[in-house]
Amino acid sequence: MSNRSGATSDPVVDPITLAVVRGALETTQREMTMTLEKTGRSSVFNLAHDYSNALFDHLPEMVLQGQDIPIHLGSLIPAMKAIVEYFGDDIHEGDVIYHNDPAYKGSHILDCCMYKPVFYQGELVFWTVCKGHLTDIGGPVPAGYNPDATEIYAEGLRISPVKLWDKGERREDVINLLLTNMRARRDQEGDLNAQFGTCSVGERNLMALLDKYGVKTVRDCIAELKNMADRHMRALISSIPDGVYSGEAHLEDAGHGFGILTIKTEIEVVGDSVHIAVQSPPQVPYFINSYEGNTMSGIYLGLMMFAEVPPPYNEGLYRCVTVDLGPKGTLCNAQEPAPHVNCTTTPMETLTDAVRVALEQAAPDRVAASWGHASGINITGKDNRSGEEYVTMVLASVISGAGATKNMDGWHSCGPLSCFGALSSGDVELLEYSYPIIIHRYGLIQDSGGAGYYRGGSGTVWEVEPIDHEMTVIGFGEGRQLATMGAVGAVNGLLEPKLGRLEVTRADGKKDHRENVITTIKPGERAANYNPGGGGFGNPFERPEKAVLLDIKNGLVTIMGAAEDYGLVVDPVSLVVDKAATIKLGKRA
Amino acid sequence: MRSKYRLGIDAGGTFTDFVLADLDGGVRLYKSPSTPEDGTRAIRAGLEQISQDINKSIEDIIAQCDLCINGTTVALNALIEKKGVKMGLLCTSGHEDSIEIRLGHKEEGYRYDASYPPAEMLVPRHLRRPIEGRILSDGSEKIALDEQAIREAGQYFKEQNVESVAISFLWSVRDPSHEQRAKSILEEMLPGVFICTGSEVYPQVREYTRTSTTVINAYLSPVMAKYVEKIDDFFSGLGAKYPVRYFQSNGGLAIGSAMRGRAVNAINSGPASAPQAGLFSAAPFGVDNIITVDMGGTSFDITLTYEGQTNLNKNIDFLRYRIGVPMIQVETLGAGGGSIASVNEFGMLQVGPESAGATPGPVCYGKGGTKPTVTDANLVLGYLNPDAVLGGTISLDRKAAEDAIREHVADPLGITVEKAAYGISMIVNLNMVNGIRRVSIERGYDPRDFALVCAGGAAGMHIAALAEEIGIKEVLVPKVASGLCAFGQTISDVKYNYLATNPMRLDTGADINSLNESFLNIEKQGRENLLSDGFKEADITVARSMEMRYVGQIHECTVNISSDKIDDKGLDKILADFHDRHKSLYSYAEPMNPVELVNLESTMTAHVAKPAQPKIVPGNGDCSAALIGPRDMLFDDSGGWMNAPVYQGPLLKAGDCIQGPALIEEPTMTLVVRPGWRAQLEESNCYRLIQNE
Repeated sequence: MSNRSGATSDPVVDPITLAVVRGALETTQREMTMTLEKTGRSSVFNLAHDYSNALFDHLPEMVLQGQDIPIHLGSLIPAMKAIVEYFGDDIHEGDVIYHNDPAYKGSHILDCCMYKPVFYQGELVFWTVCKGHLTDIGGPVPAGYNPDATEIYAEGLRISPVKLWDKGERREDVINLLLTNMRARRDQEGDLNAQFGTCSVGERNLMALLDKYGVKTVRDCIAELKNMADRHMRALISSIPDGVYSGEAHLEDAGHGFGILTIKTEIEVVGDSVHIAVQSPPQVPYFINSYEGNTMSGIYLGLMMFAEVPPPYNEGLYRCVTVDLGPKGTLCNAQEPAPHVNCTTTPMETLTDAVRVALEQAAPDRVAASWGHASGINITGKDNRSGEEYVTMVLASVISGAGATKNMDGWHSCGPLSCFGALSSGDVELLEYSYPIIIHRYGLIQDSGGAGYYRGGSGTVWEVEPIDHEMTVIGFGEGRQLATMGAVGAVNGLLEPKLGRLEVTRADGKKDHRENVITTIKPGERAANYNPGGGGFGNPFERPEKAVLLDIKNGLVTIMGAAEDYGLVVDPVSLVVDKAATIKLGKRA
Repeated sequence: MRSKYRLGIDAGGTFTDFVLADLDGGVRLYKSPSTPEDGTRAIRAGLEQISQDINKSIEDIIAQCDLCINGTTVALNALIEKKGVKMGLLCTSGHEDSIEIRLGHKEEGYRYDASYPPAEMLVPRHLRRPIEGRILSDGSEKIALDEQAIREAGQYFKEQNVESVAISFLWSVRDPSHEQRAKSILEEMLPGVFICTGSEVYPQVREYTRTSTTVINAYLSPVMAKYVEKIDDFFSGLGAKYPVRYFQSNGGLAIGSAMRGRAVNAINSGPASAPQAGLFSAAPFGVDNIITVDMGGTSFDITLTYEGQTNLNKNIDFLRYRIGVPMIQVETLGAGGGSIASVNEFGMLQVGPESAGATPGPVCYGKGGTKPTVTDANLVLGYLNPDAVLGGTISLDRKAAEDAIREHVADPLGITVEKAAYGISMIVNLNMVNGIRRVSIERGYDPRDFALVCAGGAAGMHIAALAEEIGIKEVLVPKVASGLCAFGQTISDVKYNYLATNPMRLDTGADINSLNESFLNIEKQGRENLLSDGFKEADITVARSMEMRYVGQIHECTVNISSDKIDDKGLDKILADFHDRHKSLYSYAEPMNPVELVNLESTMTAHVAKPAQPKIVPGNGDCSAALIGPRDMLFDDSGGWMNAPVYQGPLLKAGDCIQGPALIEEPTMTLVVRPGWRAQLEESNCYRLIQNE
């Protein structure tokens, strides 16, 4: 297609160059991610991949969303714009900007984001952006998850947009101020260096790309890539019948005392565009409120989970999407001083579910069951080998089961919903080497997958004992009272193993917790965090006998689970179906 | 008697390639259909061809070989087709799901694809048995080994008729005694069952990688052992002087006894020698950026070498399974001469990944194939000479090929047979172009900066079209292209990677003695292996590397170090190199911060003398002696046949230049010179395809 006006809306780019530029952008993002993974100090970075890297252009629009943590990426779009708005003309070569504050569209204050403008021959062409979950951000509770906070001020350090490097000069005073406010300073400093390295590696690659093709060609390619994403999303929306679809999902009471909270969505499809309206209850004095940037992520995730559009993934995807977050001061459109640290998972996963349920009505042939929500632990204590304090979020403790789909069982151990398989729980040996702990168990949980014609994936249990010191265990999340949502007629019979919980074992026995607790254990005692499984898909009483029997053989489903979830009575010794008893139970047709 | 030859045998999915290198110069190439059920049958058939060709008995030839080398896809195919053995796994209690949990991760590229299924478990959950017993990260024993549980597991394995067992316990790299004890108990209980431990197969920190690598090894090794035994017996029966060498995924050779229990080291045996051969072919032209593309009957393998370095992967997902041991990076597609063309339910033409393989093979081979393949299309397009395939040993049935294309492609699509044949060729080219893009563009390399090196029997008919599509202007087609991997084997060295773990801080209290000892230990083992294999001390070189990181980091960066004894000064140099490496990889260094060592590795290479390479004599530029007359061919979908000249490659001389459209027939391959291209025969036994300006 020719274009004589020279506008970037419909540029003339040869397909090979377009493919090479696209490949180079993807490689740049991947190498940024690799740099952060390889150089980070905290296990949250280097083992768990709780970070996201993106590239923005001069506008600034996101030109590449990698396959990192989905819940981060949506929020980067408004955050980048907030940063540029804040600094206006005061952006120079060599600057490095840092920020975590939700008031400037950050996700939660643990997610600290670095922005490096990339100048080419004096002109701002790109931004390399690196967002990562630091293991601590100050505040009264190590690792930042403070269930007692009734205001954001009691959660930790808010960093409004600030320059850490000013025209290439490292501002030691500012960096010192930040680090002085954090626990395990050495780790946080290492992670800050790692983020700087990440942005610089991105810059290095982009400079090489610009050297080779020049600013104009690269910009033309980017414009085309955004158009491509726009076309993909519009084609998808067009395939959904016009109409208004609504959905709702419930959020359990994780100990705050406000009871069950309900989030509703209304999705209006008109031609090739879609409008998503959110309705949520008033914000609460508990850390589950979500500010604007984070809520955008939850909505985009609900859409992407459903859409299955092919790459490229960039801001073009969302051109045809408009959003109404509801009035300020609500759970999904929080305002100061609402506490919020749990927001990237709670209530975000519930919002994602509400979007998913609405879309289920619009196109039932496309949906999948929901994934286990995050219910995990942070740990902190003193490492007697070095004499230093350690603190970390245990990502292995949030690895839940994935939802079943219309054609297969859910993946085991792939969640939580907000991360969609992007997390890595980290190698057990590497964790035991980094922290003074013994990991006694990291395994799949029996009967945890949601019952359905297709079974949800199993959740996981992670059990830990401290070595030589007292360790504080801090629980967060939900999915411990309400099971993961199934789809298209899935129902659970045996509910208990499908829920998360924190089990603490001491000399006087075991105790289960189903709300956010903080507790201390010592050597000889253990804490085991159980994660929910994924939701099932379709009628469980029609699940083929053979599939149930295989699950029994492999210990994923028990004899009791077979009867209660699938209506199938199986002899516990011979593992053969008891036909008469099954008929008598009367659940299977 | 002085050795005269070296023999390379590359057993592919469709054909087994043979390269007989004369140590004084001269390379001969042969092919025989693969016999997957018994590899020795194809080898015997190939040796018979060689025997007739050079008029010597098979025994004489083998007796005069200094080395017989075998590259094999046995392990790879068993993994692809899930035809490894039924196996059991012993793991530390509480961690028996490690390989199924996969660190909780779903592969990149499928993040938003809800219908992408997880990989099949090589050892199902009921055969993964938890064993109490626990070593901690400092090497101390927290819980004693529960031998009773091992016996119970052994009993269950016996009932279940497992053929192999992997044993992988936490921290066995710090103290292997639990694994060793478990192994000896099971060996007693399960005679004839193959057993391997994590600390033997992959002695490096990272439980998931180690367990997965050990599982794959146990799954495949019995299959590999059967194969190796057969091949070794076959060659020793023929009077071979030295044990057969096998090609490993790391790009080096190994002997059968080292291979039998380490199938995981040979998973990508076949294609791993392509970069070596490709660099060798490109060297006379001063080129060291190469992409090799190997198109055989069933698959299309791509490797990329930049500035002479081919990426060696460690700790990667290969065919969806985590493998720790080092292997040459190869991208493999299901696209080959045997790939089957069909029209799907949406009326779309598709080619592959299903392949007709060697049996029944393409329709035109007349061996029972009924579905049209890429080879059938090439015959219809006029690229293949019905009477001159494989030096005339096979003749092709053009009419049968046309009929099959008509029935399965042309009629369903309502187009002519010629158009359908061209479409088949176009689709398979497109698939291959996408594969080349994946290894180049998607990794940030512009393929236009590379030379394409052609390998495999079928590639010559497609290579110019691929280059044209991608924009590559330089293509190298060695005369041995159709057996390039077998050729690569004859110019390779014996190479083993020895790994160890010795975590220590390198700032205060670095234990230099223990460090030197770690290297010497693994190298002593390596040296013994190589000396007992007939090498001399002078043949052996050692390359050392250390995996280090800043204290507090979790991932290491690998630094190549000198193989001299380490002293204080040497350590300073190692640290300085580490900071430099960190900076060059990640854009920054922290020279003030302490560094620690985790893993170390010695690559032991025993150099094998290279056979001299033949030179082609120059001619006067007149190619008419090689001309065997014109043939009708189709180069685009306009339906316009071109009457293009066909040349006999063996009669061409160095410096001869053929303008396209034309065709050059070599005994084991056909080179299509598309319109707008010319082929120039170089003295170094290699055609250069150049696109006219």
